[in-house]
Amino acid sequence: MADGILLERAGVPAVSICTDAFRVTAAAMAEAYGFPGYEYVALPHPVASLDEEQIRARVSDALPEVLRILGVAEP
Amino acid sequence: MTGDVPLVDPDEVLRVMEYYADRGWTDGLPVVPVTESYLSRFLARTDRDPADVVLAMPHLNRTCTVRLAAINAAMAGCRPEYFPVVLAAWESLKKDGAVPRAIWQSTTGTAPFLIVNGPVRSAIGLNSKGNVFGSGFRANATIGRAIRLTAINAFGLRPGQLDQATQGTLAKYSACIAENEEDSPWPPLHVDHGFDPADSTVTAMVIRSFLHIEARHTTAPEQLAMDFVTSIRRTGVLVYSGIGTCLVLGPEHAHVFDRAGWGKAEIQRFLYEHATIGRAVLAAVGKDAVSRHTRWRLPSDHPDALPVEEADSVHMLHSPAAVRVIVAGANNAGVSAIIEPFGPGGARAPAITKIAALR
Repeated sequence: MADGILLERAGVPAVSICTDAFRVTAAAMAEAYGFPGYEYVALPHPVASLDEEQIRARVSDALPEVLRILGVAEP
Repeated sequence: MTGDVPLVDPDEVLRVMEYYADRGWTDGLPVVPVTESYLSRFLARTDRDPADVVLAMPHLNRTCTVRLAAINAAMAGCRPEYFPVVLAAWESLKKDGAVPRAIWQSTTGTAPFLIVNGPVRSAIGLNSKGNVFGSGFRANATIGRAIRLTAINAFGLRPGQLDQATQGTLAKYSACIAENEEDSPWPPLHVDHGFDPADSTVTAMVIRSFLHIEARHTTAPEQLAMDFVTSIRRTGVLVYSGIGTCLVLGPEHAHVFDRAGWGKAEIQRFLYEHATIGRAVLAAVGKDAVSRHTRWRLPSDHPDALPVEEADSVHMLHSPAAVRVIVAGANNAGVSAIIEPFGPGGARAPAITKIAALR
């Protein structure tokens, strides 16, 4: 969250991604950075134990939401 | 009223207690209310400016000042004269390095562990003997708790919010011991690292777990050391390639080694050499390789895995120096403990700070 917010403030478009187990922390972190309501992408938990194919699937599933937050149209 | 029983209005006491609890300024136990006048008694124990930064967590945009550390020490139940010990503990936690870098937000769920050496132990009644990890000693209980309350109140590291620990550890309430220098056959920890025996110091490390070691039957140093070895080489503790460890020897065990002519260096070398783990055992739990990116252990067929070295067995411990040895507890049984620090640490010198003179 911190990295995403700092990049955005530096003018670099960024989207933070975490798993849904960390929503409360994500919101607390955004609050700590003075950015309540900061939009991010939450993936289904867990991620650490997935294999390569499952990881790719998670990324494909999340991509439209990443692009929406970035404010660009899906190719 | 009889004798020295103080006269109080219990309703007022309870109201204050609930006021603090309602605001979340607690680890779950009642805290001591703090007024400016009570706070000033803590601040009078240090030469440092109340606005001095004790520790910064830049990733949270938060800092802990001397004043905030003092408020939380008072809330934890410390007496004002404990405050120099608390400040030294913060300095050591800063030196240890993991704390300013967000380890207390990690799912791993670590706790600070403090070891106090020197004359301050008897001056403020820090326990180094029976029940050293147990309850019943105000200085131990409240100095350790002062760190936790500060983490919660100054840094906002509340469970489920910025503190993401999956399970945490009981040590998060408080983990502060003194070394039993009097019953140890060896120089104490701080003297091993260049401090004067007359100095008082706090050593800090970030820990995950305590293992109980019971061995009452032996006077053979190799047998006793092997009991530590087989306890150290467990796969569950492995996150990175190897670990550091901290033996808290009961005095009886320390004397078993000493009578056989073993000092700390001999124990360190024996543990390093014997605490090896077979490649097949690591493969069976999917920890036979390390990630090229994070150095975390993972299966050798993982796409991030570095090629596996050829040795059939690997050292659990980074080096002999990654074994800390201290002596604590009563001199009454063959009981010791292994404390498992977080991460790959232990290869560095321990984080030790001299306590400013007590005032």
